[in-house]
Amino acid sequence: MATVVTLPRLSDTMEEGVIAKWRIKVGDKVKRGQVIADIETDKATMEFESFDAGTVLKLVAPEGEALPVGAPIAVFGQPGENPDAAGAPAPKAEAEPAKAEDKPKAEAKPAPEAESKPAQPEALAEIEVAQTAAAESAVPDQAPAPKATSQGTGPEGQADRGRIPASPVARRLAREHDLELGQIQGSGPRGRIVKADVEQAIAKGPTARPAAAAATGPAEHVPATSPPAGTPAGEVDEHGRPYISRPDRTVKLSQMRKTIAKRMGQAKREIPHIYLTMPIVMDRAVALRAEFNLSVDGTKASLNDLVILAAARALRKHPRVNAYYTDNGIVERGDIHVGVAVALDEGLIVPPVRFADQKTLKQISIDVRDLGTRAKEKTLKPEEMTGSTFTVSNLGMFGIEEFCAIVNPGEAAILAVGAVQDEAVVEDGQIVARKRMRVTLCSDHRVFDGAESAKYLQTLRKLLESPLALLT
Amino acid sequence: MPILQIRQAIRDAMKEEMERDERVFLMGEEVGYYNGAYKCSEGLLDHFGPKRVIDTPITETGFAGIGIGAAMCGLRPIIEFMTFNFSAVAFDQILNNAAKLRHMTHGQFAVPMVFRGPNAAAHMLGSTHSQAFEHFYAHIPGLKVIAVATPYDAKGLLKTAIRDENPVLFLESELMYSVKGEVPEEEYLIPFGQADIKRPGEQVTVITWGQGVPVALKAAELAAAEDLSCEVIDLRSLRPMDEAAIIASVKKTNRAVVVYHGWPNGGVGCDVVARIQELAFDDLDAPVLRVCYEDLPMPYAENLENLILPSPERALAAIRRVAYKR
Repeated sequence: MATVVTLPRLSDTMEEGVIAKWRIKVGDKVKRGQVIADIETDKATMEFESFDAGTVLKLVAPEGEALPVGAPIAVFGQPGENPDAAGAPAPKAEAEPAKAEDKPKAEAKPAPEAESKPAQPEALAEIEVAQTAAAESAVPDQAPAPKATSQGTGPEGQADRGRIPASPVARRLAREHDLELGQIQGSGPRGRIVKADVEQAIAKGPTARPAAAAATGPAEHVPATSPPAGTPAGEVDEHGRPYISRPDRTVKLSQMRKTIAKRMGQAKREIPHIYLTMPIVMDRAVALRAEFNLSVDGTKASLNDLVILAAARALRKHPRVNAYYTDNGIVERGDIHVGVAVALDEGLIVPPVRFADQKTLKQISIDVRDLGTRAKEKTLKPEEMTGSTFTVSNLGMFGIEEFCAIVNPGEAAILAVGAVQDEAVVEDGQIVARKRMRVTLCSDHRVFDGAESAKYLQTLRKLLESPLALLT
Repeated sequence: MPILQIRQAIRDAMKEEMERDERVFLMGEEVGYYNGAYKCSEGLLDHFGPKRVIDTPITETGFAGIGIGAAMCGLRPIIEFMTFNFSAVAFDQILNNAAKLRHMTHGQFAVPMVFRGPNAAAHMLGSTHSQAFEHFYAHIPGLKVIAVATPYDAKGLLKTAIRDENPVLFLESELMYSVKGEVPEEEYLIPFGQADIKRPGEQVTVITWGQGVPVALKAAELAAAEDLSCEVIDLRSLRPMDEAAIIASVKKTNRAVVVYHGWPNGGVGCDVVARIQELAFDDLDAPVLRVCYEDLPMPYAENLENLILPSPERALAAIRRVAYKR
């Protein structure tokens, strides 16, 4: 059956597009995935890889004309098929359908041989003429004419029908699991996708839909696992043995990666960062946490929970740190929602602990645990992943002493928290062992200056070095 | 439970129904003094006498017509064809009188009768005596068509056929008259339109009836040796057909093979395939295949006949194909 090819949506915001250049012409045999046209969208000119296979019966859209997404641009089918039967509008002058469409269909393909009536010689010749006329060969890789036998060798193995061969139950399963048949390898006769193939694909998890694939950057994507095999390089080591050269690979950008790239790039371009680092003695905080966990049931607070609480309380005293910059003025936020950076396999997200300054240590601990768990399970709702007014990022568990972070656009500062370490500290002329932690306030210099940042850090240090106040 | 042959089950069914209802009588070639060409009416003449067990000349059109007339007048005849191949001679009586009179008289006349006898190929009977007639009769509205493969089914379904208010074509098998099986002593009836799962299974549905049943069961056994589990459904009743049983099984297995005696073009096998694709299209994982006669008149020569008949090996090949094995 003829298939109408429509103008694809190649970007989220694309509403219309222009065929910059056709890469196919009427009569061409098109494979799935073949680039059939260059399409100009609102963002770029992109190669359009065909979702369909078949012989080009008609090119409906002329080059250079703006068309809405979904408009018919071409008709694919079997050679000799009537393209208008597919419901596409009348052809433009230059799109000529194949000649053989006038011939009755039965002549264009061999009838199943059951009656075994020998065809007349003239009739045979006519069939040949018809087939030649119908663009190259009418039935390219046609199997021998099927013979109606009781074994059921029915005419199941016809030539390329312009659709992906799949059993009905395979189609249904793919539909139910939102899988693209084009992404599944068929194991049946002539590559037919059968139930077992779809079940395997379901077990492997969702595949990228081709529309999305077409819209992303470089054409060559490789799975992130298993590094590519190496080959001997031209250069040799001191023993004359060749070094092994391995090819580069392009890993597809996930949606999360794209967002991170966009926002971090924006932050570094627009925000003049200033970094101040403060050492904080954490002995009392560590002791308080231990005692708290021993005496308060139903929770297990971490030191980071304590830092989040202290940071939030300090923000209440220094509203300028809980703010953001606009050209019309600095907006000091009324509410304090402390974002907690959570590292995931594919990136990181910053779900906020809302109204953190008004919460107890126990509640903050419960919230952080819940957000972290659900972030990893990917069950956070969109509104639970946004809305922070200040961020805490802790890399202490990796042994990082101190580091500089990038301010989240829409906030004025991010607190980068290092590890708590035993250090030799001089107090009153005596060397004593203390647990020390370094925090770095990374902030937007447009919103406040170094002195304000330092005052905020002093408040924070006081809260953490005399932490009983945090329990009030 | 007594073990009977199919021929004995058929005789018992007729005997019980003739005792139960004096309107029931048996008529056909060799049914009386010879006790039936295949001994299905053994002892009935002695028991019921020549008014109710009637030997006829070789005149199928005549005795089929007399049977239809008797049924219209209130009797309940059982007409035995020595083989269903001979029913071809009486085809007009069955097609145009038995099947149509109730309709054409607006119900003023009914034709409650049974045509029974062996059907399909036996062994080296040549092209005119080796034909499967269910494909002709199941085509015709007004008739009911039954094919049996076990003594239990034969007795229960023949009793139902004799009591039915419409003409029933009851198909037996010359090769299977001596098949043995348990038959309860107490009376039972098997309703029409109910298939029987002769072997439960998971991966491939094998639909069959009559002489196809032993072929399908053997093929299922061979398949089981290759870890392929087949569900063998014996339709028993071809018209009406137990669509629900077929579809339920196909929805489970996603695959079907139809094994039967008869030619590939038209007929009950095509009917089964049509219903499957219509009612279980989205559950199919492979084309539905048929294993039946080759599309040829039956040769007499044994070696050639064996090439044409559906065999367990051919059925196994089809089962493998729909399961995508080898």
